[in-house]
Amino acid sequence: MKNKRPIQALNEKARAIQSLAEGEKKSVEALQDGPPAMPLGCTTIFDTGWETNPRPTYPIGNCQSSAKDFHGCAGDCWWPAQVPDGLTNHEDFDKQCPNVARDWRVMKYD
Amino acid sequence: MPERRQRLAGNEVRLIENPGLREIKVEFHAAQELDMNKKLTSMLVIAAMFLGLNTNTAIAKDIFYYLGYGVVQVVDGDTDAIVADIPVNGWIRESAFTADRKFLYVVTKRHLIHKIDLAEKQVVSTIDTGGAGWDRFIYGFDLAPDGKSAFVNLLSRTTQKGEVVVTPPMLAQIDLQDGRIMRSIEMPWGSTALVSVKNSTNIYVIGKDIVKVDVSGKEMKVIGSYPMFEKKWNILPLWDNTMENGGVFMANYYTPELMGLVSIDTNSGEITDTPLEGAPVFAYSVMSSPDKKKVYAVMDELIVIDLESRSYEHVVPIPEGTNYAINISSDGKKIYVSGGGSTTTVFDAESLKPISVLQMESDGMDFRRLTF
Repeated sequence: MKNKRPIQALNEKARAIQSLAEGEKKSVEALQDGPPAMPLGCTTIFDTGWETNPRPTYPIGNCQSSAKDFHGCAGDCWWPAQVPDGLTNHEDFDKQCPNVARDWRVMKYD
Repeated sequence: MPERRQRLAGNEVRLIENPGLREIKVEFHAAQELDMNKKLTSMLVIAAMFLGLNTNTAIAKDIFYYLGYGVVQVVDGDTDAIVADIPVNGWIRESAFTADRKFLYVVTKRHLIHKIDLAEKQVVSTIDTGGAGWDRFIYGFDLAPDGKSAFVNLLSRTTQKGEVVVTPPMLAQIDLQDGRIMRSIEMPWGSTALVSVKNSTNIYVIGKDIVKVDVSGKEMKVIGSYPMFEKKWNILPLWDNTMENGGVFMANYYTPELMGLVSIDTNSGEITDTPLEGAPVFAYSVMSSPDKKKVYAVMDELIVIDLESRSYEHVVPIPEGTNYAINISSDGKKIYVSGGGSTTTVFDAESLKPISVLQMESDGMDFRRLTF
């Protein structure tokens, strides 16, 4: 690996990107490296593992049914990749689909 | 409980006041054989009038409030029927009743505070904690004793020069007229709930630990903390039934080995840890029975915990599935599990059999009770 040449910008677009990166300072830190120790913004509370059901028998898994926990996960952005996030991009998602078990057919979000 | 005895037409009337439950109960004891079926109701009214009480408050009556999505639904505790819908803007997360039980404040979208007139069954005012380029989200809410302000735990964000800026959580006292921050103090990351104790002279902010803040003076100041994180506790204190729970905030927590109960006596400020025996059950929220001998917990099952033995007494699957919230009738005879999805299931507290299932208008977050 030590003989491998560092990546080089070969075309105009790559050189533009390289110029943007020049002088750039560290902008991302691991959460455990110091404050803040919790995820910020959309996921201000995120107690991972809460719904990792440990039981060996029924019901195995998470909420029964998953529709019952949909709004709970959406509103506070517990799972922003899987469901609409209620704090930033989909604040009024509940108006479209207030009762997930009944209204799921009209559910639409990016 | 304070008790007064009076005699009325040769019969003994007992007036029992329960400050913890904020209820007044009148018991009528006939000196002679009476046709109680016909006469009890009228005699209770006479007794209440004799004692100078409003007849509407003579007999304990429960009204429940289902905190849903775009709506608060009112449930009569006698019939378990939905009797009114109160439209609100947004998804509800926090709630608090005023001391006079005339108003309910709810926080929607984590930044709108709605004041609901419970008699008129409508929102009468709304404020937004955000503004001036800042989003300020509320994770923890309770009313201050002055009735004009509230304590909130705020998580704030803005953008500056294209960069996102997120500031540490803060415990703040805000003006309920306009949302203005009157005073504040920085709190640790992870703070998600708050509990008012000692007549709101102290606020306990619950996050990774419980931080005790003295708010009695001009400046707020941290006066101590109760460790949880170092004890490996995982806690989700999002359901606050302190008012219905006799003035005791209670939440369940988990360690790698067990489930426990942490309770905060809001009168004394005392924090109590009750680790439970046996393999942990899974629960979102918990609440004590009125006699404080049992604790009921809920998620996919209704769980009965015996406090003396600190053990799980019954685990009853809920046919409707997962529920977030639990509440109990003031006489302890009925248990309500609700929230999450759009059902509220009513259980008989003795047999633990479902009595009825209410189909709510929307999914929900909490199920609160007022007792008159």
